Amino acid sequence: MNAALEFFVSYLLFPGIIFSFIFGQLFEGIDRKIAAHMQSRIGPPILQPFYDIGKLFTKEDITPEKSQSFFFNGAPLIAFGAVITAMIMIPVTGVIEPLGGSLSLIVVLYLLNIPAIALIIGGYASSSPFGVLGSNRYIIQLIGYELIFIITAITAAVHAGSYNLASGFGNWFIFRAPLAAAAMLLAVPGKLLKTPFDIPEAETEIVMGPLTEYSGPKLALFKLTHNIELLAIAGLFTALFLGGPVSVTIGAVTIPGVVTFLIQALVVAILITLIRCVTARLRIHQALKFYWGPIGFVAFLSLILAVMVW
Amino acid sequence: MTFKVPVGPQHPALHEPEHFKVELEGEEIVDVDLRLGYMHRGIEKGLQDRNYHRGIYLAERVCGICSVAHSLSFALAAEDIADMQVPERADYIRTIVAELERLHSHILWAGVAGEEVGFQTLFMTMWRDREKVMDLLEMVTGNRVNYSINRVGGVREDIEDKHAEKILKNLESLEEDLKRYVEIFPSDSTVLARMKDKGILPKKKAQELSASGPVMRGSDIKRDVRADDPYAAYGEIPFDVPVETGEDVLAKAVVRLRECLESIEIIRYALDAMPEGSLMSDEVQGMPIGVNKGLPVGEVTGRVEAARGDLMYHMKSEGEEEDGPSRVKIRTPTLANIPAVFEMLEGESMAEVPIVLASIDQCFSCTERIAIVDKETHEKEIKNMQELREMER
Repeated sequence: MNAALEFFVSYLLFPGIIFSFIFGQLFEGIDRKIAAHMQSRIGPPILQPFYDIGKLFTKEDITPEKSQSFFFNGAPLIAFGAVITAMIMIPVTGVIEPLGGSLSLIVVLYLLNIPAIALIIGGYASSSPFGVLGSNRYIIQLIGYELIFIITAITAAVHAGSYNLASGFGNWFIFRAPLAAAAMLLAVPGKLLKTPFDIPEAETEIVMGPLTEYSGPKLALFKLTHNIELLAIAGLFTALFLGGPVSVTIGAVTIPGVVTFLIQALVVAILITLIRCVTARLRIHQALKFYWGPIGFVAFLSLILAVMVW
Repeated sequence: MTFKVPVGPQHPALHEPEHFKVELEGEEIVDVDLRLGYMHRGIEKGLQDRNYHRGIYLAERVCGICSVAHSLSFALAAEDIADMQVPERADYIRTIVAELERLHSHILWAGVAGEEVGFQTLFMTMWRDREKVMDLLEMVTGNRVNYSINRVGGVREDIEDKHAEKILKNLESLEEDLKRYVEIFPSDSTVLARMKDKGILPKKKAQELSASGPVMRGSDIKRDVRADDPYAAYGEIPFDVPVETGEDVLAKAVVRLRECLESIEIIRYALDAMPEGSLMSDEVQGMPIGVNKGLPVGEVTGRVEAARGDLMYHMKSEGEEEDGPSRVKIRTPTLANIPAVFEMLEGESMAEVPIVLASIDQCFSCTERIAIVDKETHEKEIKNMQELREMER
């Protein structure tokens, strides 16, 4: 009974739907504001993503006749569920033990792939040429960044000697494996579809890629998934390389672990914003070359170093 | 297996409704087809129904971005028919405003090019710097678009000393910005990755397809109406015609930015050399709004270098008893550049479609003239080039 209650609380409140909804949207708002200031604009208010999602949820749910299918309608739900499940398995506070056993890192890596795959399936099922083209590109990009993502995660796991996200990673492995951390940071824009790797959603080329035919609540769910994904991936990076959430006591005041987690995750998110603001979009084969060429080399090198030296 | 992707009539890369049918095999382009005709407004017919004074208003509204070029071209043609001498000061003012327009058009283009390759920051900063020119245009003419500066026989507004001061000041800071952009385009690695060696238009092909404007000058052909067939005050102003040998999209971008720097020099020289005098020709002095009567029999072509290339107004007048021209034919640079687009897209991929389309600085609203609608049956008919030639005779 107690375990079941705990699960529901963590799924619905913290760090599940409510927590990740609020901070995912907030991070998106901060990202937009910072990007706007870098481009000498004023930008939207930080709460703008909340308004956007609220408005999208109240819109009529229109599905084009040719897109009517189980896959098209189910994709946003599957994506959203997967990313929330990933959130409750990533340590966000030092106090509450996240779910998942000794192999939670592997489970999280899988779960973080599901939104991408759901989007790809949704794009194919939309039977729009832009959706199909976007999904084609997304598959190529997935193969590109996922290799780097997995190798660098395993590198951190080798350093830690454990696959358990909850208890295994207590150190700042970024100092022991800086190459792996850098490679993962460059894989993150690919995973989150941020410039220069927003190729599957390239607006001026293929409208919005797989999302072209989505509208109303379904689009809102995908946007929500996308924003929470940012939080989840920044959180995973934090857990792997920045020692995870640690509560700090300064004098009489104790700062809870969740605050340090959010600060670390925000730093990662801002780094991604910086990359986004100083680059143009690459072409899909350039992106694959980039990931499997120099970045792949760096990632493998860090793995070999981790295995041989430590 | 190939599939067709509709780029347009509604598409984020196009700012006006046009339909490009792109046939793809995976990402690679197999075939491109173009369907024009969504924006036809019947302007040529409208010009026949108006007198010269009202016609220039309409000509100006063919295109919002190159409105000076259109009205100037119309005025040049009408003045040629009337054999009218425009005062020198008016010529200089026309030149200055035309160059300011070229500046804002090219900076706008470069920003759009940044957006087409996904470089949002470049887009935003370029449009921020473009405001400096827009302010000048507003100050000199009173409008941000459709400046209404040209009249048949002269210009409407004077450029005073206080204006000249502000122009020089803004241009100085703009020149600094532009010099930075001229460095950014050929050196930023992601811009290079998207623009270098993409959308190649070989010199020979550019000549065969009679491309015009910066598209042609990016393929190493030194041709510019301002230098080859001077109008307004261009004959008295020394300037260079920049050319690039790259033949790709990047070369077209760099040519435009270098033209901007050249425009700044032209404006500086013109402000310095501008003679005193009246703004309207003596023949229309009595008429404060320019020519509002018929002109003698004649058939001429007014030719100017718009920001996008060679712009022509062919005008025919059948005598003073008629109020306006009996026929006006407009040849816009975008129409001349469209065959080059197909050449540039050959062998490229879907990712290149927006930037290659943008590289001709397309302005479709001034290109439309091909769909023919039967008034009774509402049937549409698309004419090919041969049929169009026959119709024009």
